[in-house]
Amino acid sequence: MKGLQLTRDEERIFDGEKGEPQKVAIRLLYSLGELGGADRLIPIKSAHISGVSYKNIGEGGIQFLRKMMTKVKVPTSLNPLGFDIENGGPVEIDQNFHKKQMEIIDIYREMGIMESYTCTPYYFYNKPSFGDHISWAESSAIIYVNSLIGARTNRESGPSALAAAIIGKTPDHGLHRNDGRKASVIVNVDSELDYTGFAALGLYLGPKLNRSIALIRGQRKASDLELKAFSAALSAVSSVPMFHVEGVTPEYNLVSDGAEVINVDKGSIDETISKNSSKEEPELIAIGCPHLSAEELSYIAGLVKGKKKVGPDLFLFTSREVKENSKDAVKTIENFGGKVFVDTCMVVSPLSNSYGKTGTNSGKATFYLPLSGYGNQKVTFTGIMDLLKWVIG
Amino acid sequence: MGDWMIKGRGLAPGKSRGAAVVCDQFISPLGEIGRDGTLNNSNCQGMKLPGKIFVFKGGKGSTVGSYVFLDLKGRGLAPAGIINESAEQMIVTGATISEIPMVDSIPIDIFYNGDIITIDGKSGNVSIENVTKKKITTVYLMRGDRLLLMKRSDRVSTYPSQYGGISGYMEANENPEQTGKREILEETGISDAETVAEGKAIYVRNNNVIFEIYPVLMVTSMERVELNWENSGYEWIKYDSVDKYETVPKFAKTFQTFLPVIRQGKLQQ
Repeated sequence: MKGLQLTRDEERIFDGEKGEPQKVAIRLLYSLGELGGADRLIPIKSAHISGVSYKNIGEGGIQFLRKMMTKVKVPTSLNPLGFDIENGGPVEIDQNFHKKQMEIIDIYREMGIMESYTCTPYYFYNKPSFGDHISWAESSAIIYVNSLIGARTNRESGPSALAAAIIGKTPDHGLHRNDGRKASVIVNVDSELDYTGFAALGLYLGPKLNRSIALIRGQRKASDLELKAFSAALSAVSSVPMFHVEGVTPEYNLVSDGAEVINVDKGSIDETISKNSSKEEPELIAIGCPHLSAEELSYIAGLVKGKKKVGPDLFLFTSREVKENSKDAVKTIENFGGKVFVDTCMVVSPLSNSYGKTGTNSGKATFYLPLSGYGNQKVTFTGIMDLLKWVIG
Repeated sequence: MGDWMIKGRGLAPGKSRGAAVVCDQFISPLGEIGRDGTLNNSNCQGMKLPGKIFVFKGGKGSTVGSYVFLDLKGRGLAPAGIINESAEQMIVTGATISEIPMVDSIPIDIFYNGDIITIDGKSGNVSIENVTKKKITTVYLMRGDRLLLMKRSDRVSTYPSQYGGISGYMEANENPEQTGKREILEETGISDAETVAEGKAIYVRNNNVIFEIYPVLMVTSMERVELNWENSGYEWIKYDSVDKYETVPKFAKTFQTFLPVIRQGKLQQ
């Protein structure tokens, strides 16, 4: 084992000469580099941090952030938290949760991290380019920017992405290298999929791929939005960091010799959808995991325009920037009787404070929401048209 | 008796010493390690981690699991060190941010609960106190598609009446091949054995002894075996039927590492 070689400057940081947060940060990068077989640290252009909601990181997380309190060195965006800061909601929260959550937000702000509060920072706040080395957490964003944009990041956790942001570097291994981006599995899908179909394909493939990169064939018309749904579902149920889509994504020519082949038929997709649906009438329709784009928001506005909501509540989740720039769509949805929240989502907010049955088109939320002790929801997983049938009279 | 040292991969710096808590499982810290530092895994229920060297296969589950160690550390309930067979990011992150020394790439079945262990998370060195190391060579001797199994006599000190290869203690300055050829001659009378491949050392724990075993694959053209006192019988078996015999620890599993070589047909002398 040759091991990771630190420069003289990096050694000084390692020995604590530049301060405690820097010491902990570089030691973490060093350990993860050793684990991944890196021989050096390389500069990064940006970072994205998960581990924001108090529901996720708890007291241990707050202690860690206090220990790491220092300015970040590269543009760094931040994941959603447990509630909409300015407007409140989506559910009632207790005072302690609110206090702890604001404590976390204050620490991140103090470190110079953007107040983006979104899992889709690649739309506005933090847009990587092809070939950029970056250090991102948030599984759905990692897989999206690797696959659709061709930026390069490993599957970082909240702490490791923060460490990279503090040092401005990340260990050079895995997805940062061409070899680490090759598909080792080829997936043939026999029919064209829609948004929900792609989310279901993600849930179906995750356990089969485990951590392997796949090349998807037979989906040359896949849109960015559909691949966003696929990204989030696949990465929620696996450790897959990237995929390729033949004829669509920028690096689909990277395939290993002798890649294994998996064939997926329409039946498996339909079965995945029905298996994940409780079929009970939901108390809440939740859409926006990952956060909605402006295009998605105006699409939904078009579907509910001029109508009056009946039945379950309708909550949509997006970023501040998208909401700000989609005023007409937001107004239409609010006139209908739906609500549009920013800064948060159905997964990281304590939804079970108010709801027990949720309908969603998100494969990712379909994985997280039913977990007992976490989301505690009965979930109905189905397409947007079917979801809206519950609320359009 | 003294200390025995094995080198793994250092993953989180720092040194510590403590009693081992061994759980032969993958652990999800979120959900399987309680707030008081007690294990809540169905196979290792109730084991207490504070101040101990926590030995387990590796991590699984939520990346938020990293914070579990930090939370324990903050309240003085963290393990003093972590040893994994095969580590992944989440446990390494938890160990590093909590300043718990950590090493991986070590076979965890050489540890007993309560062993006093010293761990150096930078060099990767791990030592167990009060054990004796014995170096052994085990030969897998083949003739065509046949593997020679020796039935150990009831006069040998370890694993009597079980099947094994041709084994013996390595004398000072002997390499595995030399020990192997000497033992083959002593135990079988076969004199034309040639080495085909040598495997990586494996470790077997037996009370206060750790056997460091060097496996060697050899071939012969001679069928006739003359036994000495160490064995009470022998069989030339089809090499792929080794699982049907009651063999000494790790014998069959180690043999599997030679299967690629055997299947490439490299056994002809």
